[in-house]
Amino acid sequence: MSDETAASAPSTMNGRFKKPVKVVIDGREITAEAGHPLLQVALDNGIEIPHYCYHPKLSIDGSCRMCQVKIEKAPKLAIACNTPVTDGMVVDTTCDEVAFARKGVMELLLINHPLDCPICDQAGECYLQDYSFGYGSQESRTSSPRRKGLKRHPIGERVIFDQERCILCRRCVRFTKEISKTDELRVFGIGDKSRIGTTSERPLNNDYSINTADICPVGALLSRDFHHKRRVWFLQEHESVCPSCSNGCNVKLGIYNNEIQRMVPRRNDEVNDTWMCDHGRLNYHFAQDETRVRTPLIRDDAHAAPASGNGAGADVKYATTLDAALEAAAEKLRGAVSVHGGGAIGVLGSPHLTNEDLFRLVQLVNALGTPNFDMIVPVGPADDFLIKPEKAANAAGARALGVKPGDGGKDAQAILEGAKSGELRVLLIVGSADAARVLGETGIKDAVAKLDALIVVDANRSPLTDAATIVLPGLVWAEKDGSFTNHAGRVQRVRQAMEPHADLQPEGALFARLAALFARGSAPAAYDAAATLREIAAGVPAFASIGFDTLGSAGLALQEPGAAGAAEAAAPAQA
Amino acid sequence: MAVGVIKIDRVSLKKAGGFMGINAMLKGLTVTGRHFFKNLFGWIVGKPQVFTVMFPEQDIAKPPSFRGMPVLVQMDSGKERCVACGLCEWACPVDCIHIEPGETEDAIERYPKVFDIDMGRCMYCGLCEEACPEEAIVMSSRIEIAAFTRAGTIWHKTDLLTPVDELPRRLDYVRRGYQR
Repeated sequence: MSDETAASAPSTMNGRFKKPVKVVIDGREITAEAGHPLLQVALDNGIEIPHYCYHPKLSIDGSCRMCQVKIEKAPKLAIACNTPVTDGMVVDTTCDEVAFARKGVMELLLINHPLDCPICDQAGECYLQDYSFGYGSQESRTSSPRRKGLKRHPIGERVIFDQERCILCRRCVRFTKEISKTDELRVFGIGDKSRIGTTSERPLNNDYSINTADICPVGALLSRDFHHKRRVWFLQEHESVCPSCSNGCNVKLGIYNNEIQRMVPRRNDEVNDTWMCDHGRLNYHFAQDETRVRTPLIRDDAHAAPASGNGAGADVKYATTLDAALEAAAEKLRGAVSVHGGGAIGVLGSPHLTNEDLFRLVQLVNALGTPNFDMIVPVGPADDFLIKPEKAANAAGARALGVKPGDGGKDAQAILEGAKSGELRVLLIVGSADAARVLGETGIKDAVAKLDALIVVDANRSPLTDAATIVLPGLVWAEKDGSFTNHAGRVQRVRQAMEPHADLQPEGALFARLAALFARGSAPAAYDAAATLREIAAGVPAFASIGFDTLGSAGLALQEPGAAGAAEAAAPAQA
Repeated sequence: MAVGVIKIDRVSLKKAGGFMGINAMLKGLTVTGRHFFKNLFGWIVGKPQVFTVMFPEQDIAKPPSFRGMPVLVQMDSGKERCVACGLCEWACPVDCIHIEPGETEDAIERYPKVFDIDMGRCMYCGLCEEACPEEAIVMSSRIEIAAFTRAGTIWHKTDLLTPVDELPRRLDYVRRGYQR
């Protein structure tokens, strides 16, 4: 419910500037802008008024009647959501008359509400449950059977509808009308026969459909992905940012047993209001499925080829320690540079890494002395709301930090061509899925045959990690601290929500250690994301004044928003 | 809530105990001795009056208020009553319950795919039973938890399921106790 209070000052209802007025709520004098809903003014000032149908990002419906308050000189109770504040208004939310009205509304809503709480996913974050304890009566005055309705109805591919639980607040109807603009949901019937439904030709399948489950104050609309998965009171919630596209929607990760159970949007009026797309919300399974690379691997041809005798010898990779794998990678890089020079190394960065990781990667590339440095930004379908074409969280940050070819260096396409033609001797690929797709199966085979070494840093398996000489396991975004820069140049904080497996380290630490090993220098200080961001702030002008202490939960814009966001795509965008 | 206070007369207690508690010790020895001679006499005449129960071959009838190991109530259909709501897991002070919920096509759509109780941790407080909205977990009279491995002390759903016919007295007691 914290999402209901505005992080910043709410916009005026009709966009016009209104002069401040003074209202008194429960004896407290509050200054507010004229015309704001009384309910929002109360919530912003920490006065709780129970409500179901009011949502700060939707139009006002006034259908639940739960937010009734007593206003001096008004003939009867008024609903706070549809009452604009006016000067000198005196409001009482605690008197007996209000309490009696709330109790009556609760009784009306609960007459037909099933006792599903033990099997309802909403239990624990249910408005009806909370307000029933807070304002309702513990006794039932009727013994007549409750109204029957649809149970477990698949109203859409990703949403389940339970008609019996619905209290007809119409938040979901307003959402499909005003936010997703798809108009799937309607109220059918009148009075006691009213029910939410879709026409059969158009199920609730829009790109934002699971938001209706978020805003449903009861358990009537539920996410199929989270259905019967985990009780919400067992989830540890961590603030984070969605990694699926460059919009950077603010999210909360629900963690149980060191696994992500669900991802729900977090209010940030600058980025995503209170919404997020279904694709982003469901795209977290890669953080914990069987494709994760959990151990460093080295392919050891000399050791494996003669001994195994079953013909598969050359493909045998050996799990090794991180130290050994880093040492072997540094050895290969040193060898290529000493024989062929820095230009024989190609480095492909990843727009999926945090700013801090990428900063260390840029430092590593400078140490290697190669101009062949670029990244591949995956692109996909977009719309004019939240879904952005760049399907990576930090492409703008990578550009701002200088992930681009040096003077006379190859771009991503040329690096991959160079690997296939034998022009490059060692290829370091960070985040391999996009490169593997561009190369294709034969391309990977050609590259591996021509290259001295293919070093891959990635958190998930791909055809490239399978073919690589050395694999260094990375971490997913939920396992590390850091920051992402979204398409508009807004730097937002990502927090560690899960413990990494065994002694795996963030990519930034790997790059720092690799650079030190390459130069045969002393081991770098322990990797610290906060300290790295301070270094970035000192070294990159766009990031000046940005640090973990100033980012907060809403993020900060880069100093030159145009430089990062609207810059030409440095890499060839690959479909 | 008013709390009853009992004033203890420590001086007379001390007197009753005698010097260094010798009086009390003698009193205890008298009881032990009485049983010993009763049994000795009975053994001589061929009717030993042993009060010891030969556990585990013999057992004593436990009252319904007895809190042994928590078990899952199995309905006549063979399914568990539990709907994996997680309230016992939440109520458990020692975190010995682990539940993985799942979905079925039955009328009751939710069931526990996994229901494990670490009996080595359980402290028989009965809070799981009190929290349960379905009368699905109750304290049984079973007390044997010994196992050769630590993993053996973790009881899975199949071990925990107990037919409802075996638990009528406890279920009745729970209903009365919590005024359901």
